[in-house]
Amino acid sequence: MSQSEPPGGVFGLSYDGETRVSEALKLVSTAIIVLVGAWPIYWMTQLAFTQYETVESAVTVFPTPDIFTFDNFNVLTDPEMYTYMFNTVVVAIGTIVTVVLVSLIAGYGLARLEFPQKENFARILLIGYLFSPIVIGIPLYQIWQNIGLLGTRFGLIIALSAISMPFAVWLMWKYIMTIPEAHEEAAWVDGASRWRGFRDVVVPQCRPAIIAAALFAFALAWNDFTFAQILLPQTETTTFAPGILRAMGQAQFLPDAYLMAISLAMTLPPLLFAYFMQSYLLKGFQVRAL
Amino acid sequence: MASETGESIRPGRTYIPWDDLPVQRETIAGIGTVLPVVVLYLLIAVLPIVFAFWASLHEIHTLNPEWQWAGLSNYREVLEISTFWGSLWRGIVYMVGSTLLQLGVGLWMALVLNRITRGQKLLTAVVFTAYLIPTIIVSLVAMRVFDPAGGVFQMIGAEWLGLWGGREAPLGSRDWAMRLLILIGTWKFAVFVTIFTLAQLRAIPDRFYEAAKVCGANRWQMFRDITLPRLVGIVTVVVLLRSVFMFNKFDIIWQLTEGGPGNATTTLPVLAYKTVYTEQAYGLANAISVVMFLFLFASAIIYFKIFNPSEEVETTT
Repeated sequence: MSQSEPPGGVFGLSYDGETRVSEALKLVSTAIIVLVGAWPIYWMTQLAFTQYETVESAVTVFPTPDIFTFDNFNVLTDPEMYTYMFNTVVVAIGTIVTVVLVSLIAGYGLARLEFPQKENFARILLIGYLFSPIVIGIPLYQIWQNIGLLGTRFGLIIALSAISMPFAVWLMWKYIMTIPEAHEEAAWVDGASRWRGFRDVVVPQCRPAIIAAALFAFALAWNDFTFAQILLPQTETTTFAPGILRAMGQAQFLPDAYLMAISLAMTLPPLLFAYFMQSYLLKGFQVRAL
Repeated sequence: MASETGESIRPGRTYIPWDDLPVQRETIAGIGTVLPVVVLYLLIAVLPIVFAFWASLHEIHTLNPEWQWAGLSNYREVLEISTFWGSLWRGIVYMVGSTLLQLGVGLWMALVLNRITRGQKLLTAVVFTAYLIPTIIVSLVAMRVFDPAGGVFQMIGAEWLGLWGGREAPLGSRDWAMRLLILIGTWKFAVFVTIFTLAQLRAIPDRFYEAAKVCGANRWQMFRDITLPRLVGIVTVVVLLRSVFMFNKFDIIWQLTEGGPGNATTTLPVLAYKTVYTEQAYGLANAISVVMFLFLFASAIIYFKIFNPSEEVETTT
């Protein structure tokens, strides 16, 4: 070991040796993460293209031409499945719109306006992280029944919006604080009202935060099972997650290959978002909206 | 709303004497902006919890909501039924096992992702997919691969490793159901730990490491003295949040095992759900809900003791 190198590494390795070991570990780790992370998605995809009789009877690794088929995707045109997916899309869009609107306005208020108990409000907001769908859902079942929201997509949308709030509001708040207030002041000097300043100066600059909040709202709505299971008890109005579970319990004929095909269809939007919008996702977390 | 330009004094519009009001206009506007959030919270959090407490004092049939005053007898019943204590114990096993595993895997992934130079975009996408993919799809794939008829993991476990019998469904086995639930959950939820710790790791300036290198520190020392102290805070918060989330986990357990075989994977949320829909005892279920809420509440207090949000409020990132 020459004099210029830092002395004594882990296990008595030289600094270069240490670098080599850590590089190797990093490579192995990356390989494991990619394999374990991507494997279920690959497996789902290959099963979705395999004939359902084969899926039920043998382990196949790749849909070779003799067992390859598109027929599994016919299940997507099944009216029941179509309704479930349509409901999920409606709930996701409704949740995104509600979350973005409410959190933008609240974030603006927290960042720009002074009002008493502001800090305490932010503090209480964080309790929202601890809301559990099962604890809230059981009482909500009767409450929604009494006010007629049980079994409506609207009832599910408000429940999901509420539990997205802590993340979305903190994100908007922190983000709006990074926009110089001088931009708005310039607009006010030119005669804009506070509302105009908000709409034409702040909102356009919030685009990354809006996309991040929308993505998180989407993830929550797309993911939700517990709320939908409790709050949408009728089969016709329910969303994908509880719907497919009920269909599995009731259907005479629903092979696993069909389930894989429909799962693949439901996975595509999140996959595309994860790939093309990850910079926004990371930004959302970097603002540290905890 | 009135504006600075005086547009508001248009005819036909009520003039609000802002200067005569006891509160400042900004205060009203400020409270107005957060009002929707407050309404949502009241409706989705405060109201259900008050309602659950009130309902837990009654004897209620789920489908025939005739409330009969029962006092505290539901709570007495909750504490007496053997399933409650069993579920609590299984819930704690599930919570501790999942949280530890997720923490280990999640931290490891964050450290690797932070140091990686090539293919970061793809790797981040893979990691985020687990976060965005619906739980039900994770469950469907898991049920497929552990199916005795043509499931690949069932085959590997039975034929190669001999962990269970050839015709046996591991998700329906008393020995394996809980372990598999923890493992399958970790695939999806470890990413939560990764995302939060990665944000923290990215915030450590490179010059810290350069300075340590100049001073002759090795990699382990750098990790121990620079990285680890910075992570302690966020890891505490993540462990607390993950524990609470896993203690309240309902979806993945219900989808994979419905609490079975027998009661082998029945945790408190599953027990509460079963009490509503299988036993039709809505009042009793609410009593379980209230007990779970008390657990959440205690966690919230610890959360605020450890992690002071007002520090966040003061920073102007």
